[in-house]
Amino acid sequence: MHAIRQRIRNVLRGNGDRNATRLQRRRALGTLIWSRLPELRLLLLLVGFAWILLIPSPLLGQSTFIDENALHPGQVNTYWNWGDVHQADLYLAQLEQLRDQNATSKQIAAHVSEEFRKLGIPSATQDYVYQTSQESYNGTNAYAVFSSPRGSGAEATLISAPWLSHTEDALNLRGVATVLALAAFLKGYSLWAKDFIFVISSGQLDGMQAFITTYYGEEPSNLIAEPLTLPSGVIWVALNIDYPGHSFSHLGIFFEGINGRLPNQDLHNSVQLISRHTGGVPVVLYDHLDPRDQPWREAELSIIPSWVPASLKKMSFVQEYAYRAKNLVRHVGYQARGKASGVHGLLHRFRIDAITLYAVPATGPHGFHAIGRIMESSLRTINNLLERLHASFFFYLLVNATTFLKIGFFLPAAIILSVAMMFSGLYEWINAAWYKTVVPRSEEKTETTELTWVERPRPVLDALLVIGATHTAGVGLFYFITLPAVVVNHRIISPVLFIISLLLPLAALPLFKQTSPGASPLWQVLKAFNLCLASTVVSVTCVLNFSLACTTAATLSIPLIFSSPSTSLPLKVVKYAFYMLLGFGWMVFATEEVRSAIWHWELMGIWFAPFICIVYTPLVLQAALVSILPL
Amino acid sequence: MHLPVSLLSLCFLTLASLSAASQAAQDRATTFFTSNAQHSPSGSGHTNNWAVLVCTSRYWFNYRHMANALGMYRTVKRLGIPDSNIILMLSDDAACNTRNKFPGCVFASAGGKAGKDSSSLDLYGDNIEVDYRGYEVTVENFLRVLTGRVPPSLPRSKRLLTNDRSNIFIYMTGHGGNEFLKFQDDEEISAFDIADAFEQMWQKKRYNEILFMIDTCQANTMYSKFYSPNILATGSSELDEKSYSFENDNDLGIAVIDSFTHYVLQFMENINKTSQ
Repeated sequence: MHAIRQRIRNVLRGNGDRNATRLQRRRALGTLIWSRLPELRLLLLLVGFAWILLIPSPLLGQSTFIDENALHPGQVNTYWNWGDVHQADLYLAQLEQLRDQNATSKQIAAHVSEEFRKLGIPSATQDYVYQTSQESYNGTNAYAVFSSPRGSGAEATLISAPWLSHTEDALNLRGVATVLALAAFLKGYSLWAKDFIFVISSGQLDGMQAFITTYYGEEPSNLIAEPLTLPSGVIWVALNIDYPGHSFSHLGIFFEGINGRLPNQDLHNSVQLISRHTGGVPVVLYDHLDPRDQPWREAELSIIPSWVPASLKKMSFVQEYAYRAKNLVRHVGYQARGKASGVHGLLHRFRIDAITLYAVPATGPHGFHAIGRIMESSLRTINNLLERLHASFFFYLLVNATTFLKIGFFLPAAIILSVAMMFSGLYEWINAAWYKTVVPRSEEKTETTELTWVERPRPVLDALLVIGATHTAGVGLFYFITLPAVVVNHRIISPVLFIISLLLPLAALPLFKQTSPGASPLWQVLKAFNLCLASTVVSVTCVLNFSLACTTAATLSIPLIFSSPSTSLPLKVVKYAFYMLLGFGWMVFATEEVRSAIWHWELMGIWFAPFICIVYTPLVLQAALVSILPL
Repeated sequence: MHLPVSLLSLCFLTLASLSAASQAAQDRATTFFTSNAQHSPSGSGHTNNWAVLVCTSRYWFNYRHMANALGMYRTVKRLGIPDSNIILMLSDDAACNTRNKFPGCVFASAGGKAGKDSSSLDLYGDNIEVDYRGYEVTVENFLRVLTGRVPPSLPRSKRLLTNDRSNIFIYMTGHGGNEFLKFQDDEEISAFDIADAFEQMWQKKRYNEILFMIDTCQANTMYSKFYSPNILATGSSELDEKSYSFENDNDLGIAVIDSFTHYVLQFMENINKTSQ
């Protein structure tokens, strides 16, 4: 037995000294990677992009499951009945009256607070004023605290409904009515282990932001808010109801938080299970109805372009891929920009797991009865919790309501692109110093000249100064575009700023004179640092905000890897224009996005705007400099 | 043609061996009871009965373990063991849990107070005596109770005052595994610990016979290490087997009883003080 093993080992390892063979193998591997680096880089890029395209495919993904054993979702009888629905209808009638009277936020909050008090639940209102550079938001939130009948009140569950729905120009009247009717219903039971905090927030996001920051004792400089008079416990879970239409056919779940944070997946899993089994309402992500369920609406629901042949469109693989891709694009749209997809997203940074239940408007069949049952059962499940949700995943990609990807299945996409950039950076670094040249031999053998590797010094300090200058310029740029005067007049200032940004590097070109005659060119060292920095940024951001990292990697990997100077002037101009457009084009072509990003930064501290100005744009600017520096 | 014959003979042999095995188990039980019947014609030579009932899990979702222990408590009390001879250890208070829809009640079957099933009995009732409650249910306290190594300040109701003519029923329930039982998410007791405790009891003549019953996952492993005489042990599952709950109550939202204990209790319901 031992002899056989020895024979196999000899074949695999060779007969020599084990350490020597290991060192040789290592050296051979290193040489192989080095000599084939351009091919390896291409391979990594291909694999990275292919993986990104593979993420929505039906080949990946697994079913969602309940990980926290204490939850027991969907195992309780619900007692929400038609009497409670009638109560909700009465509340709705009052709210519609307020809407018809064009009631102010203060009047609405006073009315809602009064209704809570009539139920015997302590309630109060909170005025707030938010100052952003574009406009100021003021409003009044109404909130009520129903203390747990037998519990200590150390923990609380938040139930909220903002006045404005996330759907354009829609009021969340039925959402508010549901919260009021729910409060009346929940009061009748003594089995609640945690307090309930009901919040009817004014506006869309600003009201809840004012409430939650005051609740947790923060004092942002741009907020003036009334202190809260009713104390309660630490909030563990929050549910937000968004019910703009008359009836609904599906329950849509919104879960993204600010800066790309996600709630624990168990909350989504529980609510989705409860909605399906106890509520009888099918669940979708966001408001994306599946075109396969409603074939007569396929044209508006499906994202498959019309030029795709019908034979391909009918394939189940393609249809599933299209549906998942639609969900993922929406998700990346929220997460990459760090936007919260609803009021729930403002709560994640306080370690509150929160989602929004959105009643997708339709002509039927569900209404107050279904949403009440779902809420009751979900609250019973949340009631069972003994500690915060921690068992299930925090990093996941939901591709549809019941399927998700674990981090190991989507993270490598961005990491592989980052590795490609890193390898390129190291390649440039080595190539900057080492070059093959003809070295004349000593006088004896004048005819034999051979190419040998020679090392030359690298202008490291100069390159670092350039990088520092670009990022400092980015900071300055961010500071400038967030000035109130600039934001207000951005329509005039943006094109001017763009022109200045185009011309400034060109004007600074004479500064980049060749440092010393024998040193390697500045552009190569700059490119090496640029790539390594970009790779680090992508890798680090990957685990903070995957969508942002992946989008950055996908946008920047090819342009940065293949940046190079050239001798011909037209080519230089074209390359420079390309990079400047890539890095600064957002100033003129995406003004709405810029305005929105700055608003989000001011109101909620979302990092997207600073990231673009301080990280993304300088990286592209460095590549632009590489393309115009002397060869 | 000879294949079915050999198959048939194989089946026959298996059946024979199975019946032989069950017959062997029955013989073992009979021998156990008759061998101890030296002094009295009724069967065993004991003069008093004791019970130690332990529920080792806390938290609301382990309601069924508390229901298990309370079900056994009620049965044991109904069949004649007085409270002074019962040590009941409950790790958590399910009856007064804030999540309990029926406050002050613990049910071992679905239906609760509102159910049509009238056999749904409230096990908490008016007259129960819990000796070790909450955080007092620890491995140390359990072993001290069994072996009698208790501080002099411990009240009589918390002591196991058995002698060599006592038959003890020891029932344990909770979450367990291969040769261990978890106490309150905090510590574990191993099969060796209990075996050693029983040996100490035998040496100190603290029991005549012990009936050891355990309802956990991989329960039978817990009595695999016993080396003292006169112990009859039974459990809910073998090695690598899980023990499952019996039914859920849809108003409480959790499982109310475990399968093994449920069937034991169902059997015991038909037994009263005069049964043979």
